[in-house]
Amino acid sequence: MLRVSDLHARVEEHEILRGVDLQVEAGEVHAVMGPNGSGKSTLAQVLAGREDYEVTAGSLEFDGDDLQEMAPEERAHAGLFLAFQYPVEIPGVGNSYFLKAALNATRKARGEQALDAMDFLRLLRERANLVDVDEALLRRPVNEGFSGGEKKRNEILQMAVLEPRLAVLDETDSGLDIDALKTVAAGVNALRREDRAFVVITHYQRLLNYIVPDHVHVLLDGRIVRSGGSGLALELEERGYAGITEASAGGSGG
Amino acid sequence: MSSAAGPAAGRYLDLYSRRTGEAGFLRALRQQAIGRFEAAGFPTSRDEEWRQTNLGPLLRAEPEPAARHTLRAGEAAPFLYPDCHRMIFVNGRYAAEASSPPERVTAVALADLPAGGENADAIAEHLGATACGLASCSADARVHAFAALNTALFGDGAAIVIPEGVVVTRPIQVLWLSVPTLGRGDAGDGAASRLEVSFPRLLVVAGENSQATVLETHAADPAAGGYFVCPAAEFVCRAGAVLRHTRLQVDAADAFHLGFQHARIERAAVFDSSSLSFGGGLVRNDTVALLDGEGADCSLDGLYVVGGSRFVDNHMRVEHRQPRTTSHQLYKGVLDDRARSVFNGRIYVHQAAQKTDAKQTNRNLLLSRSALANSNPQLEIFADDVRCTHGSTIGRLDEDALFYLRVRGIPREEAHGMLVYAFARELVEKASFGPLREDLEGRLRSSLNGGRGGGRSR
Ligand SMILES: Nc1ncnc2c1ncn2[C@@H]1O[C@H](COP(=O)(O)OP(=O)(O)OP(=O)(O)O)[C@@H](O)[C@H]1O
Ligand SMILES: [Mg+2]
Repeated sequence: MLRVSDLHARVEEHEILRGVDLQVEAGEVHAVMGPNGSGKSTLAQVLAGREDYEVTAGSLEFDGDDLQEMAPEERAHAGLFLAFQYPVEIPGVGNSYFLKAALNATRKARGEQALDAMDFLRLLRERANLVDVDEALLRRPVNEGFSGGEKKRNEILQMAVLEPRLAVLDETDSGLDIDALKTVAAGVNALRREDRAFVVITHYQRLLNYIVPDHVHVLLDGRIVRSGGSGLALELEERGYAGITEASAGGSGG
Repeated sequence: MSSAAGPAAGRYLDLYSRRTGEAGFLRALRQQAIGRFEAAGFPTSRDEEWRQTNLGPLLRAEPEPAARHTLRAGEAAPFLYPDCHRMIFVNGRYAAEASSPPERVTAVALADLPAGGENADAIAEHLGATACGLASCSADARVHAFAALNTALFGDGAAIVIPEGVVVTRPIQVLWLSVPTLGRGDAGDGAASRLEVSFPRLLVVAGENSQATVLETHAADPAAGGYFVCPAAEFVCRAGAVLRHTRLQVDAADAFHLGFQHARIERAAVFDSSSLSFGGGLVRNDTVALLDGEGADCSLDGLYVVGGSRFVDNHMRVEHRQPRTTSHQLYKGVLDDRARSVFNGRIYVHQAAQKTDAKQTNRNLLLSRSALANSNPQLEIFADDVRCTHGSTIGRLDEDALFYLRVRGIPREEAHGMLVYAFARELVEKASFGPLREDLEGRLRSSLNGGRGGGRSR
């Protein structure tokens, strides 16, 4: 489904990704861990199509298509989703209006009928319920004045409405209280399917108790230095990243 | 005729001399105004208040009175709102057959002003009392050439007098429709091109404790050629009155629009005015509000959406003359292509105006590298116990927000439109009259779609 090979990316003069290899197949859950500043968000943003990052080498393929040829919205239409580490506040744009525009743009791009107001509202209520998002948040401007946790839940709500095939969650667990963490995890698990995949970026083993990954990768200095099963997360929890550095790099995890 | 004030002024003085005389207070008023204009002439780039407004193309043209035009069926319809009282003017002339003025108020076309008719005294008292050819009511006020020209040259106009205590529930719409009949006048080098000009005139007197809503629309077919519209409006809010006012400007793209409006707000009265500018090639609005009684309050809000090589200039002067007066200004501009704008806002607090509360904000959104916004808020405060704030911003679209919307599948152009709409929406949504609000929302949306070229996807 997703094939990242030898990806190098930089912003201005800084080379941040220095040869990332990652392969994700349908039905899998991958966790990406790594210290602050190692390039996790950069990888996520490059996948989503952020233009500030220049890809200097390597390739990105999604279902065989070259992602670099696709605008951010085209990647979304193809089924790629990114939950932002720092969701953006958009004053003046209503949350549910935004979600409807997003869903219908995607449906239109796929040649499907737009949902009318009633059908959309029904879907939105159902999904908001699933991920336990307060309906009051739907009427407010996108993320504006939302608490940290509300922003993260809102990302998961968007995922639940848009039903992507590959969702990249960038530290969606950060800033969540324990109940919210469980709800978010339940939301993700409810969406898990044979034809869907997740890349979960996190600092904490705790989330992985609820969303059990098939593969765990460690990103360090812009490279995946180790990959393993879910046990690797536990090992990291105990030993920290220091112990990992010496261990040999695995590269691809698929 | 040439004039000491220059050849351009001479052409307008000619228009005045070609007028046939009229009796009564109007005649004295006009003579005073044309005298002021003749002495001062048109402002030049050396005039501080006009430095940024390029009048060259306007002043090179040969003015002639806009031709008489009979409304064709449906011609005014795109600009009319349902459930309103209506006064329709075409090229400055009252179209009585298409109009339906309210009954309990005196709403007359000035040319028909009946001598000694109902409220004739009120009209005589207030017409030209403030928009008399001076830039403000202060003792040292300079001549305002366009207010003076309007006063000297207006033909028809609307005078609306709302009696004491009367509440007019339906809005009163005043449509100023321009239908230029000359083609794009280009007589070649040397000779001045011809330009049709009209001078709409409005007087609204809201009697004590009365309430009304006045919707002014300055409009033309978007494809009409060039013309010059030079309106002047006076608003008087007597004690305790509440007057709501919207001024929608959707002139043709080649039009010159230079307007002057003056509001005097008395004790505990409210003047709540919005100015929305979507059309015109060279647009300037000079607004003066005088808070002239204790507890008087005004809101002066505005939106300008400008593209191409168009230019919009708003000059505001709010004078707090009495204690406990409040004023609130919010002007927002959206500029694309090579458009330019000026916002020049001055709040003037007289020594007597203790406990003044004044706020002024101008925010501009630039959508292209070549667009240019000028913003000059100014405070002049002569009282010590006041609260005055002002601020201005000139910014670009939030790229992070744009990316966020696109990552969710919203195409670039649509995302762009959503963000610009979000920036401006509070000003169109402020309109409480449903049909007006819907019209403004539609105009804002279409003005954002129009002129958005391709080549920006990715
Ligand atoms: N625009 C930029 N200019 C300069 N450096 C940048 C820029 N964007 C990112 N970086 C740097 O790139 C490195 C990787 O950042 P990134 O956000 O990908 O880290 P991360 O692994 O997500 O960290 P965290 O766990 O703290 O979220 C950091 O050192 C960061 O400072
Ligand atoms: Mg990060």
